[in-house]
Amino acid sequence: MRLGSALWIALAGFGAAVPFFGSTYLMGVVFQVAMWIALAQSWSMLSATTGYLSLGHAVFYGVGAYVCVLLTGIIPFEFAILAAAGSAALFAALIGLPVLRVRGPYFVILTYGLSELVRHVVMRIESALGSFGRMIFDVPAQEVLLWWMVGLAVLATLGAYAIRHSRFGAGLAAIREDEVAAQTIGVPVTRLKLLAFIASAAIPGAVGGLALLRTSYFEPAQAFDPVISFTIVTMALVGGTDSVRGPILGAMGFALLSELLWSTLPQLYMIVLGLTLIVFVLFVPRGLSGLVGRIGGAR
Amino acid sequence: MTLLDIKGVSKRFGGLMALSDVSLQVNKGEIFGLMGANGAGKTTLFSVIAGHIPPTTGEVVFDGKRLAGLSPDRICRLGLCRTFQIVRPFAGLSVAENLRVAALYGRARKLSATEAAQIVDDALDAVGLADRRHLDAGRLTLSGQKRLEIARALATGAQLVMLDEVMAGLNPTEVGTMLDTLRRLRTERDLTFVIVEHVIGALMTLSDRILVLDHGECIAFSTPEEIGRNERVAEVYFG
Ligand SMILES: Nc1ncnc2c1ncn2[C@@H]1O[C@H](COP(=O)(O)OP(=O)(O)O)[C@@H](O)[C@H]1O
Ligand SMILES: [Mg+2]
Repeated sequence: MRLGSALWIALAGFGAAVPFFGSTYLMGVVFQVAMWIALAQSWSMLSATTGYLSLGHAVFYGVGAYVCVLLTGIIPFEFAILAAAGSAALFAALIGLPVLRVRGPYFVILTYGLSELVRHVVMRIESALGSFGRMIFDVPAQEVLLWWMVGLAVLATLGAYAIRHSRFGAGLAAIREDEVAAQTIGVPVTRLKLLAFIASAAIPGAVGGLALLRTSYFEPAQAFDPVISFTIVTMALVGGTDSVRGPILGAMGFALLSELLWSTLPQLYMIVLGLTLIVFVLFVPRGLSGLVGRIGGAR
Repeated sequence: MTLLDIKGVSKRFGGLMALSDVSLQVNKGEIFGLMGANGAGKTTLFSVIAGHIPPTTGEVVFDGKRLAGLSPDRICRLGLCRTFQIVRPFAGLSVAENLRVAALYGRARKLSATEAAQIVDDALDAVGLADRRHLDAGRLTLSGQKRLEIARALATGAQLVMLDEVMAGLNPTEVGTMLDTLRRLRTERDLTFVIVEHVIGALMTLSDRILVLDHGECIAFSTPEEIGRNERVAEVYFG
């Protein structure tokens, strides 16, 4: 086993062990970091592989949170989380074919617009039902939620790694490079894109459910907040999209940075997000992952 | 035995008839040449056959199966693959990776990693790109990218390979090598080729039969010797 893999396993182990020695604050930080790793890694399953940059991944997070809030209290929370993941995947399957017909900037804008559309629809539904936010009373213990989230981060990372190194991943890379050429040599382009879209939606659904349980409060404007989408894209791009360690580095760097900013200068958060993105896109196209070179090992 | 049967294919782009009522049969094991001035409709015919654009009328039958409505990837897995006149390498992937995708997806059967690696090696050897296997495809010279187009089509395991001006831009020595390669592939691998070429000499020496298109219409269809004597062809080509 290479040094890199050992390092990542130790990191996941540390995250899972935090409840035994860490403060509530540290548990909160680890929860956030794991959450962003899971989200950025899931996003990379579609966007880093195929080059279809989704700016609407908040919609899967939001769908997961919504499904989870509707189901908690009715079924055990474990099943509510699974249902959240399943609903997000199902939603991706339903919208995937039309959405994936467009490429490049059109895809970016379409995913963003769709996510906003769903946000407003859910806000309308909720206000029509006379609800302006739903409280959840019976939530699982904080450490249980943390373990789930660390589990999702690990799962998303393993999933992203497996995709990159599989026949599926080879097909997705061909699609990214030239869709017409890919199709000409036998790559079933439409099917592979749809599968990647579904794969990249499932875990964000579960993440949305868990995040909801942690705050024990559902409010559509928050659950579908486009800032979630912006953050995912920024983290993944800053981390670097040509290896699985990229999203981990990006998520860790950003989550820690935002911990600092939220507590000191919350109004600066979006500004720093934007500036970092610009600097990396312009000057560090291969991201943090490219900067640290081979230290992380896994590619 | 007829491998590819084109029956009365026409293609209209708005007011332009890019192909009018083209019919031809390609026999198994044949090298079939397609000639015609720029804009004659050769590339369009390839696109129709490979499933990239639907014909306005007519149909294409490959190996006894009608191709109407099938996507290019399905057609490839049936054993028919084309190359592009304007090359389309997977520029950010290595030469070997370009071929590996073709090996993994080009046929109906799923391959093991070892089988795929063997096919990649064979395809690299066939076109003489073995020494550049780790290079990003986008960094190959034009001649290299033309050869990559051929290698990628070969790696799909297609039994009918359609080559669109793969010799354009090659120097005479390279053309000579390419001719040898194609002849060898035909006998060694039992392949069938349809070849579009502007290098008329190359087409004449290589092809068993030649069809000449002019403004979408078939104006001659016979052996290279007869095509060389055909007045109408001479008129179209040399005015
Ligand atoms: N997609 C298209 N839309 C409109 N016209 C086209 C299209 N593709 C080709 N054509 C036209 O059809 C004719 C045949 O083109 P093409 O098949 O590329 O010729 P060739 O390969 O023999 O040089 C040309 O006049 C070309 O401009
Ligand atoms: Mg042409």
